[in-house]
Amino acid sequence: MLENSYSTLLSFKIHDEFFALDAMRVNHILEVPEITRIPNTPSFMIGVLNLHGNIIPVVDLRLMMGFENVEFTNDTAVVVINPEEQQDSSLGLIVDMVREVVETEGLEIKPTVADKEESMLKNFHGTFSMDGQFVHIIDIEELVAAAEM
Amino acid sequence: MIDKFKAKFVEESLDNVNDLEEALFALENDMQSKDLIERIFRAMHSLKGGGAMFGFNHLSDFTHHLENIFDKVRNDKLDVTPDLISLTFTAVDEIKFLLDKGDLSEKDDLDAYRAFMAQIQDFYESGGNVRAAATPEEATPVLDDGENTYLISFVPREELLQNGTNPLFLLDDLHALGEGFSIVYTHKVPTFEPLEAESNYCLWQILLTTKESLNEIKDVFIFVEDECDLSVEEVCKGGFEINTDIKKLISNARNANSLIKVSDLKILLKKDDPVADEVEKKEKEEKEQKKKKQFKEHKISSIRVASLKIDELVNLVSELVTVQAQLSVYAEKKGESDILSLAENVQKLSRQLRDNAFEISLIPMQSELMRFQRLVRDLSKDLGKEVDFVIEGGDIELDKNIIEHLTDPLLHILRNSVDHGIEMPEERVAAGKSPKGNIYFKAYHAGANVLIEVTDDGKGILVEDIRKKAVSKGIIDDAAELSDKEILNLVFVSGFSTRESVSDVSGRGVGMDVVRKKISEIRGEVSIDSDAGQGTTITLRLPLTLSIIDGLLVRVVNNQYVIPISSIEKIFALNPGQLKNSFNKVVVIDNEQIPYVDMRDVFKEEKTGVEVPQMILVKHDDKRLGLLVDEVLGEYQTVVKPLGRYLKTHEVVSGASILGDGTISLVIDTNRVLQLSSSGKFKGKKKEEL
Repeated sequence: MLENSYSTLLSFKIHDEFFALDAMRVNHILEVPEITRIPNTPSFMIGVLNLHGNIIPVVDLRLMMGFENVEFTNDTAVVVINPEEQQDSSLGLIVDMVREVVETEGLEIKPTVADKEESMLKNFHGTFSMDGQFVHIIDIEELVAAAEM
Repeated sequence: MIDKFKAKFVEESLDNVNDLEEALFALENDMQSKDLIERIFRAMHSLKGGGAMFGFNHLSDFTHHLENIFDKVRNDKLDVTPDLISLTFTAVDEIKFLLDKGDLSEKDDLDAYRAFMAQIQDFYESGGNVRAAATPEEATPVLDDGENTYLISFVPREELLQNGTNPLFLLDDLHALGEGFSIVYTHKVPTFEPLEAESNYCLWQILLTTKESLNEIKDVFIFVEDECDLSVEEVCKGGFEINTDIKKLISNARNANSLIKVSDLKILLKKDDPVADEVEKKEKEEKEQKKKKQFKEHKISSIRVASLKIDELVNLVSELVTVQAQLSVYAEKKGESDILSLAENVQKLSRQLRDNAFEISLIPMQSELMRFQRLVRDLSKDLGKEVDFVIEGGDIELDKNIIEHLTDPLLHILRNSVDHGIEMPEERVAAGKSPKGNIYFKAYHAGANVLIEVTDDGKGILVEDIRKKAVSKGIIDDAAELSDKEILNLVFVSGFSTRESVSDVSGRGVGMDVVRKKISEIRGEVSIDSDAGQGTTITLRLPLTLSIIDGLLVRVVNNQYVIPISSIEKIFALNPGQLKNSFNKVVVIDNEQIPYVDMRDVFKEEKTGVEVPQMILVKHDDKRLGLLVDEVLGEYQTVVKPLGRYLKTHEVVSGASILGDGTISLVIDTNRVLQLSSSGKFKGKKKEEL
């Protein structure tokens, strides 16, 4: 179990599983805007979006997690995170649905057991149970490292 | 060039002086504060050091003496007194004056300077007890000695000699009292007939500068009082000089068979007359006021602004340009003449504003040049080499952010030049060169770019060596046919280092590949040229500003891209037939063979439709390449934004810009397309690469 400095988590749905990440690192949650594709990039890097005049790269978290079905629905959202203080580290994540903000206090967080073979993310901060669903906490550092080309 | 450094030094020193003044004001209120004294001492110390370095010798000397006083204060050997503070305030004014004037050459200035120095020295020695708060005028050394000049008129009677008195001995006695000048009058000497050998016919006037009192002088004549008419009168304070005016006065008096009048002499010597002094003092004050005025006017011509504020200004202007573009698009769509003309005005204004803001963010290179000079100097000393470092074009201005990014690569390049390029003096002599090596640093404008060349006349690089090395490292194929220039430029490929062992100097974990990477981060280019035995030139090509470019908007399949206009030579509309037979991807235009790449290949897009493509001919150095695009949409001025760290290493796209309608188009780095194309990267490989 890793020591967690965060107190709130944003949970979201990918495919039919739930994940969460440190809510304090989340800057925006957007409907999927127009995204400009960038050629010659890995398939999970789906392009860049214009957020108030800033260029934000967007990765499809679903593809990074190894899921195939990537149709956009009305629920599909972009979670813009700012992993570090610097502007240039902002990153948009495509998720199937944003669910809720969860307080970590009182949560029983257990080590994550199952890893998906195809997923680029393997190092989770833990798993907790919510409304009968498992929610896996994503390690933002690992995510950022994976997104860097 | 040195003038530029001086200007920079003066600018920095003014900061120090301001700091000094501030600290002094604070010290006035809190005379015990160690911190303030330390601060004052530090400010003086930097002034002293800098002054000596930049040839402000008077300033350096002056500050040195001042510093001595504060050193005493610092070591508790001297207390801070109001006298000390006012002395220092006056000294600060003098420092400003010296900063403005440099080393003094005018006599007046020099005198005042020396007097002030003496005063400071005095203060240092006496601790300010003797003469408190003396002003410079009072401290003039001539006045200090308490000397006066007297005119002694000695008119003996004819019988003088009969008592056995020798008047010449009296004169000798007088001269022993101080500095004297005797005037002898012989007009009373008669013609030979009535002359009596035992009579005295001569009269004397003596100008004497002495510390002795009037009575002391009279005492000399005590034994002849009755045989002469004697008058002793003070004519001025301090000493005198026998100048032409006085000589004239003497000869006039002689011609008129009379003596010099005290009043006349007083006028001539009025320079040191206390009353006249007053007048002069006023003049001096006026002069000083003038000096101060000049100085202040000089200061206002530029202001210093926190660089963060400028960054913000530039950012805001960039945003404005984007919004303005949106407005133009909207006005175009509406087609209303009112809005159209408004949009046009906004465009004009924002363009001017933009140009202005960018000019503000430019700073001259010279701010960094000092570091380069130090590096070359220190390094050549360490290595036992002799190097002349010549800088040209230090006044070229570049975006502050570019200069920041430039320093490290340039330091590395210079290090290389000194370490690898320039030979040891013996080697140079053996090669028929002068023992002293030369490194030229030259910056100049070339179109929308600034070029920086670092040239050394060292041993150069053997193309064959580079080639062998590149082959052994697997960077190129043994069979590869490359021009000398292409081979030389392999040194920028990562994993290439010409020295077997990493030396202390150049091998600080960064090689030429890092130089190239750093330079390309600021949208610059680096290339190398070398003649074995003759030397090496490294050229950096840099954009003027980072964030705004003139670009050509093009479409490739469904995406829009911006190609910087600066790299475009021509745009052609091609006939479908022109490309048909070109299996080796060369198109013939105006009897010239031009290689081309299809941007759809570059971006690995599906080739749908058989539209007639347009070809954009881009050029870099001596290489040209045609880029096939689906459509040219128009010319745009765009703000280039970074893609962020995740896409920084993208091979073809170097940034993005937001179009008028808010959509994003990617900026194509044509130079990288050129490089990749000449390395064969786009030829028939698109299937296997994903």
